[in-house]
Amino acid sequence: MMESFINLGGGLSAHLLPANMLAMFIGLVLGMLVAVLPGLTLVMGVVLALPFTYKMGVEPALILLTAMYVSGTYAGAITSILFRIPGEPMDVPLLWDGYAMTRRGEAAKALGWSLAGAFIGGLISAVLMVAMAKPVAHLALRFSSPEFFAIVFFGLASVVALSGGSVVNALISLCLGLFLATVGIDTIYGAERFAFGQPFLLDGVEFLLVMVGAYGIGEVLSRLNTGFKSEDSAAKGGQSRFKTALPSIREMWRIKWTFFRGTATGIVVGTVPGAGATVSAFVAYGMESQYGKNGKALGTGVPEGIVAAKSAATASVGGALVPLLAMGIPGSGATAIILAAFLLHGIQPGPQVFVNSPELVNIVFAAVFIALVGMCILGYFAIKPLCKVLDAPEAIISAFVVLFCFVGAFAARNNLSDLYVIAFFGAVGFLFEKFKFPIAPMVLGTILGPLAESNFMTTMVSFDNDWTVLFTRPISGAVMALALFGLIYPVLKALLAHMRRPPPAARAANPGLR
Amino acid sequence: MQSRLRLCAPHFVMLLVSIALYFAASQIDTSGTNGGRRIGPDFWPKAVIIFMGALALYEVTKRVIFGSDFRAKSLTEGLTAGPAGDPPTETDGEEATIEYPRLLAAGSLLILGYVGAVNWLGFFVTTALFLFAFTWVGGFRRHGWNALISSVGAFAMVVLFMRVAYISLPLGEGPFRSLSIALLNAIGVR
Repeated sequence: MMESFINLGGGLSAHLLPANMLAMFIGLVLGMLVAVLPGLTLVMGVVLALPFTYKMGVEPALILLTAMYVSGTYAGAITSILFRIPGEPMDVPLLWDGYAMTRRGEAAKALGWSLAGAFIGGLISAVLMVAMAKPVAHLALRFSSPEFFAIVFFGLASVVALSGGSVVNALISLCLGLFLATVGIDTIYGAERFAFGQPFLLDGVEFLLVMVGAYGIGEVLSRLNTGFKSEDSAAKGGQSRFKTALPSIREMWRIKWTFFRGTATGIVVGTVPGAGATVSAFVAYGMESQYGKNGKALGTGVPEGIVAAKSAATASVGGALVPLLAMGIPGSGATAIILAAFLLHGIQPGPQVFVNSPELVNIVFAAVFIALVGMCILGYFAIKPLCKVLDAPEAIISAFVVLFCFVGAFAARNNLSDLYVIAFFGAVGFLFEKFKFPIAPMVLGTILGPLAESNFMTTMVSFDNDWTVLFTRPISGAVMALALFGLIYPVLKALLAHMRRPPPAARAANPGLR
Repeated sequence: MQSRLRLCAPHFVMLLVSIALYFAASQIDTSGTNGGRRIGPDFWPKAVIIFMGALALYEVTKRVIFGSDFRAKSLTEGLTAGPAGDPPTETDGEEATIEYPRLLAAGSLLILGYVGAVNWLGFFVTTALFLFAFTWVGGFRRHGWNALISSVGAFAMVVLFMRVAYISLPLGEGPFRSLSIALLNAIGVR
């Protein structure tokens, strides 16, 4: 384990190169901007940045995206606390206590607690990430195709189980993503699949186009459909509140268990594929209200509510990077894009990356530590200009988002037909949003589909088409059982609740019954 | 009955898509499967399509035939309820989400128009026109500002992508190509 921390030094020293330093700075600023702007989510921002990393070296590309990921988990807190505008869904819990403190005139203190929570949660999780990743990768080196298929299946099942909304819709979205991943030339037999005579489909559907289209263009179409907000921003007025007052060590020690619960929840939930910072923040907030000494007061403007949510959100970063680096399974939307960055540079994250490219792993680890420090510095000093961004009319931001999507898609292959593909997936993303089909399973299905198929096919070839091997080998069997439980549990729960419901006649007579 | 049909329309579309894709999957060449002893390149996509079709069929049947509102919710549904109910949002107090189909249609046309025109007009001209039209359609209507944002924005994007990032973007045809080349020469791209 000590070796991992010594190697981290190499990753830290790589950040001294001017190109890497610049990538870190740009990543930190972009991450903060996308987190602050209500029209842009962190995942969407990282997606938009991804195509521009094509032309970069792999090191600055990974540093830029990691820095965006880290700083993006913090900055939305500022607008949540000051203006009741959650830049990200993960910042919603901060409205309950952070904004309540602002209304009492304690905005600076609330911002300080938020920064302290984010830094401590992030730091502890980063240390654990460095300590855990290599042992997990070593364990994964012993896996063969059934285990890898089971792990990918678990990742996909988790995304479905945690996607929000209907499980059936999430499964349909996942199937669509898995289908899209099969378009083009099959890698085992060389057979043409679903190209429909179109040359550009022979190369397959780039997951980048699905991601950028569904998240970027899809979101702009959704916002057009609900009408852009007026130019008058809530950020106007209250300029005097742009200050952060950090809590003292004694104050932080007083709620040490809140820090611990939030951070531990963030790390654990972060490692579950598909969960990410938002789920971590909400689960930690719920845990604090249930088990915290001051749990009953949550929602009235107490620091525990801010610290629990914020430490969990930032701690989820380290948690999500462990399965990504050690097994090639992204733990969150943003890590799915970091996975895409690896793939775009021809590197498959997983146990082999620790053997073949350990320097890249150390660079990602180091980027998390440096980004945490940078996040705190920017978060402390740059509140005023960050909040100024809220004044930008949504129509202008959306116009530039569309352009960035198109340029990003074009930069990838210099192919004009990709612009039509991206516009098509924009429409798909919009329709999914409108009819409540989650987008994340489709995107993850497109990214992990080839890995799932190749491991499944290899298993079938190696074990004479005996699919039961997925359940009879101890590790794959356990992981498959866990994945199936995650899929079946919500269905069983809903079925039981449905059966216990009073009959329709009774419900009609007494509308209070459900 | 009509409302039931409307509710299941997206799933019905997915069912039709699944059927069409299944037929397309049947056309995949499986001659390399050693006489059918090994699973072929059609197995995985067919399995995925059949599962997708089965899920869509289940939803359609449940809603149209049984009129059931049974729905298995994911594990995170309800997680976002705060200590005092749902989280406060920017739209607190508004009754329901209002939709703007005309705005959506206009915005979609502009996006499609951009895709269709960029090869002919070139990146700079198309981007400037798009920025002006999209911000205007989006409700930002200060003509001077619209013109400034579109021209400066398009120029900045040309510099950023073609001068700094060296991305090869469409130059256009005819006079638009000449304009793009003149612009690129002016910013030092040869």
